Amino acid sequence: MEGPFAHHRLANGLRLFIEPMSGVRSVACGYLARAGSRDETPETAGVSHFLEHMCFKGTPRRSWERLTADFDRLGSIYNAFTWKDKTAYYGWVPVDELEPQLELLTDMMEATLPGEEFDTEKQVILEEIAQSGDDLQHHLVDLVFEKMFAGHPLSWPVLGHERTVGRMTREQMAEYHRSRYSADNLMLIVAGRVDPGEVISLAERICGELLGSGGQTHREPPALREGTAVQQLKRFNQQALAMVFPAPPAGSEHEEDAQALAAILGGSNSRIYWNVMQEGLSASAGATHLDFHDCGLLAISAICEPANCESCTEALQAEAENITQNGVLEKEVQRVRNKRRTSLAVEAEAPYYRLMQLMDDIDYHGGPRTIEQRLAAVDAVTTESIARCLEKFPITERGYFVSVGPRDWPEL
Amino acid sequence: MIETRHEFLECGVEMAAAFLPDRRVVHFEFRLYAGAAHEPSERLGLAHLVEETVTKGTERRSGRELSDAFDAIGASHSTWTGRECAGFGSTCLPEYLEEALGLHAEFLRTPTFPEDACSVAVELAEQEINSLNDEPRDLCDKLLARQTYGEVLGRHVLGEPETLKRITRQDIAGFWQRMYVPGRMQLVLAGPVDWERTKACVESLFAGCGGAKSSGREPFTFQFNAQRAHHQQETEQEQIGVCYPGVAVPSREFPIERVLLGVLSGGMSSRLFTEVREKLGLVYYVQAWSEHPRGAGMIHIAASTTPERCAETYATLLREISRLADDVTEEELERAKTGLLARAETRGETTSARCAELGNDLFHYGHPVSREEKLDAIREVSVEDIRRYLHEHPRDQLSVLTLGPSQLEV
Repeated sequence: MEGPFAHHRLANGLRLFIEPMSGVRSVACGYLARAGSRDETPETAGVSHFLEHMCFKGTPRRSWERLTADFDRLGSIYNAFTWKDKTAYYGWVPVDELEPQLELLTDMMEATLPGEEFDTEKQVILEEIAQSGDDLQHHLVDLVFEKMFAGHPLSWPVLGHERTVGRMTREQMAEYHRSRYSADNLMLIVAGRVDPGEVISLAERICGELLGSGGQTHREPPALREGTAVQQLKRFNQQALAMVFPAPPAGSEHEEDAQALAAILGGSNSRIYWNVMQEGLSASAGATHLDFHDCGLLAISAICEPANCESCTEALQAEAENITQNGVLEKEVQRVRNKRRTSLAVEAEAPYYRLMQLMDDIDYHGGPRTIEQRLAAVDAVTTESIARCLEKFPITERGYFVSVGPRDWPEL
Repeated sequence: MIETRHEFLECGVEMAAAFLPDRRVVHFEFRLYAGAAHEPSERLGLAHLVEETVTKGTERRSGRELSDAFDAIGASHSTWTGRECAGFGSTCLPEYLEEALGLHAEFLRTPTFPEDACSVAVELAEQEINSLNDEPRDLCDKLLARQTYGEVLGRHVLGEPETLKRITRQDIAGFWQRMYVPGRMQLVLAGPVDWERTKACVESLFAGCGGAKSSGREPFTFQFNAQRAHHQQETEQEQIGVCYPGVAVPSREFPIERVLLGVLSGGMSSRLFTEVREKLGLVYYVQAWSEHPRGAGMIHIAASTTPERCAETYATLLREISRLADDVTEEELERAKTGLLARAETRGETTSARCAELGNDLFHYGHPVSREEKLDAIREVSVEDIRRYLHEHPRDQLSVLTLGPSQLEV
């Protein structure tokens, strides 16, 4: 492998990536499990996320009280998150605590899912689902996925439904755990002030016992739908709107172009900032490129006063049409490069930031990328490459329009 | 090696730097003593409107050109308004530091407040208030602050719909003229900073604009209001907010309070997370933290749960607050201390975190405080200190706010 990274595969199939960093006093490490809501069945929707919680609730070597106390004894900044196609567990500690940190995270991969804790934690998940019900943005995102990926597992919400979580059994979760948390479906990533050789020895000792092989991950690429969807929720004051279009998948030819396009269209100091927000049409509007290994989305969205739905939507559409017809300016592309240069320098000073980026790179790009490689990728973006991206992935047609809030608008 | 340096410059700006020579970025922030508490009571929301509009045009450039100038050097720029201050910060590569400082000085010194930018800022603030009403947690915090801190320090930075309506361009320009003077400015930098060179740069940028006399640093006083209120709203969860007085940052008891908050809400093995969430499954969200207006302190505890479980959640929160004095253990104390000390090497070690820490030192102590001194104070906290603190600060007067579909029966 090129660059400063070390790569190693343990006998049980676990892949290990290490990035030694200079000038820092800490180390971040994490497991990435290829297990997300797109790997669930309709009956078990929400199991990946529920399992993430349960990994903190008991292991072969520790009760949950002991596990969290041991994490806190290291002064670790630790947590986990679940997404459509992955679950990640991580800890960020002073450099001397890498070994015990790795032991704890590895222990969690073999969670025992105690029955009593399962029932209690289910209540916590149901509270989390209730909390998401009070979040307008959350409704918008769920509706986008539900409609755009209808019929495909990517359409299911990460948290699952009250119904599916409520009925879920420990046995269903145990089966999912067995098939997903095997060493060959996990990756271990370490970034910080470390010696790669020492980390490999540690991993051989600590992670070598993880069960080798589980079920095969089989993921079908989705077919993206077009249309309009409205969810009227009268209790909210504002309306959330999104125009969502198919976009380049992660690691594909136009990924960087799509990211630059989203930044020019709807990042800070962007066209949408000046022509939509600073025209008073929305206090929060922008564009985002969201990608998976087999598909991607470009979302142009806003939260606005219900009375402004028409004018705000027209203004967003006008920006999409303008950028499609007239392209982007060289100075806009240059701004994206300049900002990336600074954000990469910031990333290089914190192992946790690097860990998060490496998780993305390894999962989607087949391997870690150095700061220089990522800078080169954005430097390769040109006005022409963005134009080609827009030609291939238009943002004025073939999308889904989604509206959530007190107004039943647009009328269908 | 010198860790920090602090000086009142001739131009009036109070400047301090944390020297981190090996860093690849510089982070700096101008903090102005011009927050919501400084607003005239009939013009609430004014400080935030000045923060929003001060970058929308200068004598030399339009707002868009100013943003382009920041982007041309890749400086990421952010602004905020709080109770007592407004902040304008940037992260940039070290070679662009002087240019970035120049851009800050340009909008801080020569803003033009275009009429349309002012009216849009008012309109957007009104929309943000509506948006805040859609966010139960934030709305609960806003209502609890008003109830607890009273009229001045309890103001929300967005203001109120009726006071926003009254605000004109003239009000905005007037507030800027009174408040955005060097004597009310604090500039804090962290990274590979050349002190003499940066100082000379700042002196020249702010020379001759008057208002050099140090001002605006007097703390606001407030009377803690121990009240209970409910805000009716159709939501899925009930929000609970509880607060009671703590200590000011310069107090000798502050390190004890920090450790205590670690015991209460530091990690997943902390009291609140364990007792309210993990043992009983009552909540997803539960948290404790402290807030510090200058010269004061307030402990906050918050949770959200479905209405039928609200009474039990509230009772459990109160039980945990009250029993701490009786049964806090040596082991819990050590875990909380380790957490605080370790975070100084992880999250607290980034350039922006070092800058924020130094800014807070100036705000609360009036001068930089050595990191080692602060960490030593944490190391020295004992179980006896915690017990004494809890004994001397009884938690019998609480300010409580619930927000949701049903009123809490206690």
